[in-house]
Amino acid sequence: MSPNDKKRQADSQIIARWVHEGDRVLDLGCGRGILLEYLQQKKSIYGVGVDIDLGKIISCVKRGVPAYQGDIGAILASFPDDSFDHVILSRTVEHLEDADAILAEGLRVGRHVTVGFVNKGFWINRLNALLHGKRTVNEVYPKPWYESMPSNPFSVAEFETFCDARKIVIENRVYLSGDWLDECRKLPNLLAGYAIYDLSSID
Amino acid sequence: MNDSEQAPIIPEEGEVGFVEYQDFVSKEPFKFVSGGNLPELTLRYETYGHLNAAKDNAILICHALSGDHHCAGVHGIEERKQGWWNFMVGPGKPIDTTRYFVICSNVLGGCQGSTGPGSINPETGKAYQLDFPKLTVQDMVKAQSLLVDHFEIDRLHAVIGGSMGGMQTVQWAIDFPDRVGRYIALACGARHTAQAIAFNDTGRQAIISDPAWQQGSYDPEHGPDQGLAVARMMAHITYLSDVGMESKFGRKRRNADESKEHFEVEFEVESYLRYQGASFVSRFDANSYLYLTKALDRFDLHGPESLDATLSTVTAPGLVVGFTSDWLYPPQGNREIVESLLRLGKHATYAELAMDFGHDSFLVRAPRLYELIQRFLIR
Repeated sequence: MSPNDKKRQADSQIIARWVHEGDRVLDLGCGRGILLEYLQQKKSIYGVGVDIDLGKIISCVKRGVPAYQGDIGAILASFPDDSFDHVILSRTVEHLEDADAILAEGLRVGRHVTVGFVNKGFWINRLNALLHGKRTVNEVYPKPWYESMPSNPFSVAEFETFCDARKIVIENRVYLSGDWLDECRKLPNLLAGYAIYDLSSID
Repeated sequence: MNDSEQAPIIPEEGEVGFVEYQDFVSKEPFKFVSGGNLPELTLRYETYGHLNAAKDNAILICHALSGDHHCAGVHGIEERKQGWWNFMVGPGKPIDTTRYFVICSNVLGGCQGSTGPGSINPETGKAYQLDFPKLTVQDMVKAQSLLVDHFEIDRLHAVIGGSMGGMQTVQWAIDFPDRVGRYIALACGARHTAQAIAFNDTGRQAIISDPAWQQGSYDPEHGPDQGLAVARMMAHITYLSDVGMESKFGRKRRNADESKEHFEVEFEVESYLRYQGASFVSRFDANSYLYLTKALDRFDLHGPESLDATLSTVTAPGLVVGFTSDWLYPPQGNREIVESLLRLGKHATYAELAMDFGHDSFLVRAPRLYELIQRFLIR
């Protein structure tokens, strides 16, 4: 596994801590199905991936991971309440057109929603913007703006303010430092390169 | 981000070569869902590859409305046309005949050698014609299960089919969950849309209103050829897409001389469709066409209770593939099968291919379709 792959899968082990044996897991923006394959092996979950890209779906088929090619909003709408134990959005929220509505739907369909994202507030990202006026670029997102998916990056502080405003309960949270490996225990909005949340709704 | 750590498997491809059909005859009475009976039935089929000792490597292919049991290879040296899914079936191909034992049978109610309305009723010595029992997709699948019994195969490695074959495939997974290892349904749906029924009925009316139809009791040599040809021409349009037709034919002219007979073939597309109609008549029985299209129109996985209730018996992992340009069985109809299966907590995958060939996209060789089917069968 290359260092980039390691970084790309930074949240797998943390998410696995929150997932129980045999849980039902829906991974929105599942990519090649690596996380679900990992969870199938570690926790014997029933997992379903969702992605818009056919190439990613073919990769899921190779891994034996059930996957649905299509729109995240549409597939969420087709599920009744609490269909899954976990709805995962790992580096997906920043690409959503209507993150607010999708997160609300995720909390309806899943008992827990897991969100992982690159912290826009991380000091290197700030410095990049301040000194060079540049967008966030790292090993996982190495491409220049004109070759990338539309992205709406946000910071740890912005996300937590949002959760507060929507009365979303943060059950667990893990901040990772700039290497996305070691945990970051102070000033997360400035020092965390990556953040992962385990969310639920009050009811 | 590609999956470079898993390079695609592209083995040397071969051909199944010369093939011969066989006839399976069941002397037992066959009971239809409608309550009707046949005293006995014949299914014409072809097989490719070898059944292993454990009898667990068989793949059943279900053909579409106008297809038949001949899906790979050629019947003789003079035959130019290969089986209808030749690019998919053969040594080193996704349905790999060095690995799998492949069975494809002509559908019950068909007219390519299996028992259908044109077959002779042994009890009367005359063709069944409209005395043939009401036919459903469930009946087609039940008949195929007899053929699978004949090979003493308890459980198929996979069932695969497109269009009407896709519906049979899903029906297999519903009716025989213990006998289906996995299934792949292409360009199908849980039921016909109003538009699909409308097209089918227009085709049926073309046949029925042909005076030669004679309430279905025509002499096979003098059947309702005009009606059947028009039905086929219209149906064929629904198998293509506007983009596909535009790029294939556009406004290309066959005959530039407008001063000639006013309604002779003028445009290429007219010539193509008339040829399709005429060649269909030579290989298809009009009453079979009526029975099969009606079976498709009545197919409805949403009934009698709900789609979720109907699919609840499925246990095998499934792959459903929709095609963006398919306006006969649009992606949404394919998608809803998988949405239901996922609601039920089943192992199901939905993939959608952006191809310009309309409903017939599943009959066109495309690398991604190739890869999907190959990978899903191997897993």
